[in-house]
Amino acid sequence: MDLKSFIERISNSLGISGCEQEVAGEITMAWEQIADEVRRDNLGNVIALKKGKNSHKPPLMLAAHQDEIGFLVRDIDKDGFISLDPIGGIDPRLLPGQEIKIWGREETLGVVGARPPHLQKPQDREKAIPLEKIFVDCGLKKEELEKKIRIGDAVTFHQKMGWLNENIGYGKALDDRAGVAALHQVLLELKDRTTPLDVAVVATVQEEVGIRGAITSSFALNPDLGLAVDVAFASRPGLEKEMTLNSNGGPGLEIGPHMHPGVLEKLKEVAGEKEIPIQLIGVPHPGGTDTYVMQMNRCGMATGLLSIPLANMHSPVEVIDIRDVRRTGRLMASFCLQADVEFVEGLKCL
Amino acid sequence: MEQLIKKLTEAYGPSGREEQIREVIREEISDLADEIRVDYLGNLIALKKGTASGKKKPIMLAAHMDEIGLMITHIEEKGFLRFTGVGGIAPSRLTGARMILPSGRKGLIYHEPLKDSSKLTLEKMYLDIGVETEEEAREFVTIGDIAVADEPFIVLGNRFLAKALDDRIGCAILILVLQQMEKTSRDLYFVFTSQEEVGLRGARTSAFGIDPGLGLAVDVTMAGDTPEVKKMDVKLGAGAAIKVKDSSLITSPLIRDKMIEIAENEKIPYQLEVLPRGGTDAGGISLTREGVLAGCVSIPCRYVHSPGEMVDRRDVEGAVKLLEKMLQQDLEFPG
Repeated sequence: MDLKSFIERISNSLGISGCEQEVAGEITMAWEQIADEVRRDNLGNVIALKKGKNSHKPPLMLAAHQDEIGFLVRDIDKDGFISLDPIGGIDPRLLPGQEIKIWGREETLGVVGARPPHLQKPQDREKAIPLEKIFVDCGLKKEELEKKIRIGDAVTFHQKMGWLNENIGYGKALDDRAGVAALHQVLLELKDRTTPLDVAVVATVQEEVGIRGAITSSFALNPDLGLAVDVAFASRPGLEKEMTLNSNGGPGLEIGPHMHPGVLEKLKEVAGEKEIPIQLIGVPHPGGTDTYVMQMNRCGMATGLLSIPLANMHSPVEVIDIRDVRRTGRLMASFCLQADVEFVEGLKCL
Repeated sequence: MEQLIKKLTEAYGPSGREEQIREVIREEISDLADEIRVDYLGNLIALKKGTASGKKKPIMLAAHMDEIGLMITHIEEKGFLRFTGVGGIAPSRLTGARMILPSGRKGLIYHEPLKDSSKLTLEKMYLDIGVETEEEAREFVTIGDIAVADEPFIVLGNRFLAKALDDRIGCAILILVLQQMEKTSRDLYFVFTSQEEVGLRGARTSAFGIDPGLGLAVDVTMAGDTPEVKKMDVKLGAGAAIKVKDSSLITSPLIRDKMIEIAENEKIPYQLEVLPRGGTDAGGISLTREGVLAGCVSIPCRYVHSPGEMVDRRDVEGAVKLLEKMLQQDLEFPG
């Protein structure tokens, strides 16, 4: 499947943390066409294996998380209004006025209510409404609603991926489905090539609620070297320059304790050879990505983190440039073709 | 059942100091299990062998035996004891509580005078054990001792009121299940875990050791049925709750739906639980090794982490029945 169709399909699929079955199914189906084997583990991580020349050695692990932020149905009141429980770092201010979808026994649409400006007191206008006071209106009575949905059902923004021009796409869940799409590009690039080491490509689960899928998948794979790809803030009006990357500027290489210096040098070298633009960004506290737990797996591994510029993070209209996704995939694929046994062993002695 | 819960809730056993509660439980189960061992973290692990022992991965049931407490950090000149929390302690639930120290000495918690009671913090609170000097206090306490609530177990109609129902009620349920359990094909491990309240610690190491195919925790959850409490669709007396989510676990839909199906087929009342905050051993188990399928049966509980917690008998009975039916079904799952 080509990159654009793939990213659209997975952006539109359901996959809030812990509820990734649907998106995992899409990813599995696509990767079965281009990898040597694909499996799912107990937590739901999708693990695609691309065999290399030295299959007796630990694989090189590539990870991006497939889960998205969203909500669960927390309570249905006597009049059929629904309260939500957040999954991942949601900004409740984005909710009022949105169209949402409840993925219950039947898919059910709802709108998020908002207090009309006419009825707001002056002091209310200064404040955001907390999530406890936000309700979803499905236009149904409690009894009707309970036939379609129940407590604990997943809720996402009702958003189909769209394109602002041929390269710039927007949609929900592009954090980090853009990263998963970059992994798809890696598999496309490597389809008829042989890497020195096995490459294990992992679409991890439950990153947004505590980086959980990367814990168990890196335990299972036990790699010596791993790269994660996630998203970083794309430069937009009003955002601090030092915190952002330029859209269409190529992948960001996040420099910090989670970026092994040898891995960084190799990535830069490969980018130079392949004429892939890169952006360097300093991130001293890499708490919130898969690299964090990968690095601490078992006896530890060398890790690196690539970032795709993305605007409006954790909103229903996350914006990416498909050229950045493609470049990130190409850079990782070229890295995999060069990372041999000697290179990986050399990382120990730096 | 009341006698068992009374014995369990009234025993002393804060996180890391589970010796007494562990012996109480060991006594209750010594004739029921094929093997009993204790690991380095203090988990009490009882094995009930299955007919296919060794061929299939075992099922692990977990309830934590530790309770929250207050660790003494400083003894003042006049004998007042200052403390810090072991586990999640809310100061507003402590004023006026009677506590007991490992030495058996009892005392009362109070706080310094405050203009604004919403500013109450543990630093402003102290334990008064009825002494006049630091020297006298030292006869009953040393720095690092942990005080726990000193409250008797009582029955109020269908409700039980006691300290440490979190999670001695889970321990009671595991014991009740073990008492009635007939042989299953898989090995069953009944684990009374340590140090849950300080980070699901016992569950992690015991699950690593057991390497189960399925982990089921039994713990309390909050109830949304008291005046003006935050919206949560869980009530006392409406049945055991099947966990959908808490901060440590999002239950695999495979396990959640299986539990719902069994409850519905067996006509066992149940509720679905979406818990905004808090974790359970199921979360610790699920992230072990390559990942473990895990679920949690929750007992709705009012006033969690206060000296008086309240649960409903019918929910406890329902939980026992649900677990029995689940275990009898010889569930099939990967591994």
